[in-house]
Amino acid sequence: MNRRDFLKHTSLGAAGLSLMGLSVPALARDAKPARLVILHTNDMHSRIEPFPDNGGEWANMGGMARRATLIEQVRQQEPHVLLLDAGDVFQGTPYFNFFGGELEFKLMSQMRYDACTLGNHDFDNGLEGLQKQLPHASFPFLTANYDFSQTPLAGAFKPYKVFEKAGRRIGVFGMGIELAGLVSDKNFGATKYLDPVATAQAMVKQLRGPERCDMVICLSHLGYKYESAKIDDRKLAAQVGGIDLILGGHTHTFMKEPEPIDGPAGHRTLINQVGWSGINLGRLDYVFEPGQRRPAVASAAVLPVHTA
Amino acid sequence: MTFFRSRLAALSLLATVALAPACQRAGYVAKPQLAPTTAQPVGKALPDDPKAAATIAPYHQKVTEQMNEVLGTAPAAIIKNSGESPLANFVADLQRTRASQALGQPVDMGVMTNGGLRAGLPAGTITLGSVFELMPFENELVVLEVPGPVVQQLFDYAARIKMALSNVTYTVGADGKPTSILIGGKPFDPAKTYTIAISDYLAGGGDQMVFFKALKPRGTGILLRNAIADHIRTLTKQGKPVEAKVEGRVKF
Repeated sequence: MNRRDFLKHTSLGAAGLSLMGLSVPALARDAKPARLVILHTNDMHSRIEPFPDNGGEWANMGGMARRATLIEQVRQQEPHVLLLDAGDVFQGTPYFNFFGGELEFKLMSQMRYDACTLGNHDFDNGLEGLQKQLPHASFPFLTANYDFSQTPLAGAFKPYKVFEKAGRRIGVFGMGIELAGLVSDKNFGATKYLDPVATAQAMVKQLRGPERCDMVICLSHLGYKYESAKIDDRKLAAQVGGIDLILGGHTHTFMKEPEPIDGPAGHRTLINQVGWSGINLGRLDYVFEPGQRRPAVASAAVLPVHTA
Repeated sequence: MTFFRSRLAALSLLATVALAPACQRAGYVAKPQLAPTTAQPVGKALPDDPKAAATIAPYHQKVTEQMNEVLGTAPAAIIKNSGESPLANFVADLQRTRASQALGQPVDMGVMTNGGLRAGLPAGTITLGSVFELMPFENELVVLEVPGPVVQQLFDYAARIKMALSNVTYTVGADGKPTSILIGGKPFDPAKTYTIAISDYLAGGGDQMVFFKALKPRGTGILLRNAIADHIRTLTKQGKPVEAKVEGRVKF
């Protein structure tokens, strides 16, 4: 089923409920759903200020002080917000060349980012360059498939974190792209790259099992889609069951809407990515409804909401 | 079929709601409620958050001061174009002289591709900001010791795009192959090993220079951007203008 059919199908599902005399809001009230608003960015590339007003493609777009306003507006309307970034905070403007990412991390801390994963450009000043900036970040960096144990950053990062939001347990883990060939060897040193599929499977098992999570999110810097056999977000979703949402990066993909991918055992994963440079802030709203852990049920109940 | 499927879906959802006990841990499923636009543009309509703006202000001031530093003056714009370009000549030449200074030995050639240089230098005042636009990457100046057969591969590569190299002249033959190669005025000797000043990016096989990949570069610890800025400062100190020309390094 393609994305369009999927969305059409599900809105017909909602219409079907109404026809049967049960309005959607009524159903929602009965089930007491708690709404979680997920806000996300990727590949902000040190774009502190908006793109210059010079007629270029992204003229006047982006800007971290404006993004802070938008996030604050959402926080004033919504009690349960999870703010995430999918990596490549560093590199792209002189702010990075002069200050090494200090200002980026300070502003993200002020905006109350909940977590971030590492992109390849976050290694551009080497492991020491990254380490030096960590005190400026009040949020954790999550990365499950880089092994830093033989590097100066041993113990600096966690593979995942469980957030208690909207009364539910949200497990978030991070996935990074293979660094060899992309980042110069001296900049990642003895960092080991672990297989994303096996690592993600282990993460889902941990988060769905002992961590009792109601939702699992993967913060990924693998990239949205490659024609080659290289692992990407779509392949990860197709091969690893149990991830509800992949928030992606690296390929700077402007997605008009999240893409659903069917994975093993009938589980469905949504993928979203919002371009780069903070041009957009991604927003996905989730409700939690009591239900069996039957993915087929979940997939039939995706309800498009026509208010932002 | 669609109606049947959706009605089934509705029924299964109803059944779920009716049968599932409330408030049971791990008994919840996350369901997206997607707005028509999940990517919200960050544009002019949004005012700056005052706290973020105040955090940015002192950094902005420092960046602006440093970027506005005047390094020198160019009588004419130094542009980049395909084939032999003034900008690539300018950068490849200063790479060679700077690397030679840093290592305390002569360096035979300098190599820079047009793709590695992001913008030309403007006519008139050249600021540090101009150099950042030219070279935004944190590329390091490195030196390769290149055996003759690999140098030949470099010339084959260069001849295909009529690319110039510092301290080198050659002719592209009718068959597209390089001939009459002179390095420092002397004919190319395939039995010799040559030194090349280059960026770590290209030395690592960037821009399809895969033939360099097996070679281990010697680092200089100098960022290419700083080498460019320093060279312009030196010219200015010596009372010289900043200029570069296409001078027939590649004949065809």
